[in-house]
Amino acid sequence: MSEISLVVNGKAVSGAVEPRTNLADFIRDTLNLTGTHLGCEHGVCGACTVLIDGVPARSCISYALSCGGAEVTTIEGLDEDEITRELRAAFTREHALQCGYCTPGMLVSARDLVVRLPNADEQQIRVAMSGNLCRCTGYVGIIRAVQMTIAERRARGIPPVQGGGRTALGPVGSGHAHAIERVATFHRERDTNSAAAPAGAQIGAPSLDPNWQPQASFEQNFVVHHPLAKVWEFFGQIEEVATCLPGASIKEASPQRATGQIRVKLGPIAAEFGGIAEIERDERTHSGRIQGAGSDARTSSSTRGDLRYTLVSLDAASTRVDVTIGYRLTGMLAQFGRAGLVQDLAARLTSAFAQNLEARLSGRTQSTQPQELSFGGLIGPMIVERARRLWASLLSWRK
Amino acid sequence: MKPARFDYERPRELGAALALLAGDNVTTKVLAGGQSLGPLLNLRLVQPDIVVDITAIPEMIRVEEEADHLVLGACITHADIEDGRVPDVTNGAMRDVAAGIAYRAVRNRGTIGGSLTSADPSADWVSALAALGAEVILRGATGTRTLPVEDYVVGALETSLGTGELLETVRIPRLSKAARWAYVKKCRKTGEFAHAIGAVLVDPERNVWRAVIGATESRPIVAADARELFGGRGDAAALNTFDARIADRILINAGMSDALDRQIHVVALRRAVAQAAETALQ
Repeated sequence: MSEISLVVNGKAVSGAVEPRTNLADFIRDTLNLTGTHLGCEHGVCGACTVLIDGVPARSCISYALSCGGAEVTTIEGLDEDEITRELRAAFTREHALQCGYCTPGMLVSARDLVVRLPNADEQQIRVAMSGNLCRCTGYVGIIRAVQMTIAERRARGIPPVQGGGRTALGPVGSGHAHAIERVATFHRERDTNSAAAPAGAQIGAPSLDPNWQPQASFEQNFVVHHPLAKVWEFFGQIEEVATCLPGASIKEASPQRATGQIRVKLGPIAAEFGGIAEIERDERTHSGRIQGAGSDARTSSSTRGDLRYTLVSLDAASTRVDVTIGYRLTGMLAQFGRAGLVQDLAARLTSAFAQNLEARLSGRTQSTQPQELSFGGLIGPMIVERARRLWASLLSWRK
Repeated sequence: MKPARFDYERPRELGAALALLAGDNVTTKVLAGGQSLGPLLNLRLVQPDIVVDITAIPEMIRVEEEADHLVLGACITHADIEDGRVPDVTNGAMRDVAAGIAYRAVRNRGTIGGSLTSADPSADWVSALAALGAEVILRGATGTRTLPVEDYVVGALETSLGTGELLETVRIPRLSKAARWAYVKKCRKTGEFAHAIGAVLVDPERNVWRAVIGATESRPIVAADARELFGGRGDAAALNTFDARIADRILINAGMSDALDRQIHVVALRRAVAQAAETALQ
């Protein structure tokens, strides 16, 4: 815990916070100012918007400790504020709220527009208010209330203020306080739900629901410069195949079934999926299918995947591997909600896998060290790749 | 939706920050405005041992305007640029890009260096600064190195930042008065990450013809000599002879196999070119 001092609604306050405590939780839990609401907790919905150093910022993705010495104004601090009083009247007139959950954030963002916007342009207001979500009103009343307040004030000769009056550079809230050094006795204390659950624990008994449908699928192919028979034989040895997948390791394997893990890294995001796979092979068509399921305790995410491959002989010395992968991803990774990122990862993994496969078949050591980047291999996590599409389809946040 | 525990340090000196980042027995993440890192921490997708807040280091909000370029510290925010609290050498191009990033509440804390370092392929600065021909200056224990923005971002969420290195400043070239610029992004919801980005900079006085196709799920595709997109023309009317087929071929060569995906990206670039042709900058 660290001591933090800041000014909230004009009063100096201090308290002990953990580094991970966001400003909203400090305001709500420590100061008991519960007018600040938390919605999405990743910067998308706007419910937690407060004024920091006089301008709006998200209190859910601003850590209390990083705002040491800042001036914070919450909805409670705007009771006597002239602009907010006018906005409240306009919100009432226009029925600009129903359940009221979004309203504190709406008022803080709207106040900023009343200060800054030169005139009551509806399009500009709609764009500027798009960072505050309301599930009740359909926004019409909210936009009208903001328009009206701006129009009335400009008509009274009150000019807009460029930048909301801010003159300092850098992130609002930052730059006020002294240096902080961590306690010397640093000791990593993982939360129990991260540490206690062994990888793969969440899937329980290996259950590959036959009615499962992938959320997305994609195809890839690559060529190895070895005859089909040799590649086919190699693909029959799941442990060998796994060594070509960066980050993959097999715990137990039989011709029909394997358990293991795969570590996947996407920029700063690292996940280790543990799970099971069921393996089918068809000698006649030189095709195979691997169905897997896995989970990562650290990110509380689960995946389910279906990989089908077919070997096609191009000539006596080379074979094309066609791969179709379907997957579904649930949990935090899925919530991350960014589309398409996994494709880039998949492309890199496939290329590493193809290179490693080529090297293995040629009896060389692998050209790529099996590290973490990984093509969710022949184990459940194949699915990772798929994740990208999935991510895309969910919430999208903005940097 | 609360982050896993982490330790927090806020050094006042650059050297102290670099020392923290060089430690190899713990995982560290650099925090500037936290508008990309915050969501990742809250979702527990990123679980560092130590978060190093660099906003107390004076160099990080450094601003230096030179004859042919502008240097901005990594912690200059989008709103600092949008509001003109820092000088502009791009005839307003950067102000417009900044004003379109996410939402005002995010722009008040989100930083130019943090955005680049998060390296989301759909992030505005990744594509816009690559199109402007900007560079990043990275500082490590042994000194600095300079990279073009398009080489700094190596893939989705991946940069070429080494262990113990920090993005210190961004260096933006000054455009000629007659430069033509446009930046177009396709979002379904205002403020979300873009699905496609097209950017073009034509500055014949400096012999600069750049085009960028961004939001590709990987590093942006940069045509450092974009004249091939204009049938090889290098005169003022070049922007009127944009050849969408060449843009499409560039995307095919870059591995974008989905025809619809390519179409969205080609249209973003085509619109950017059309805007640049119409609109002389202020």
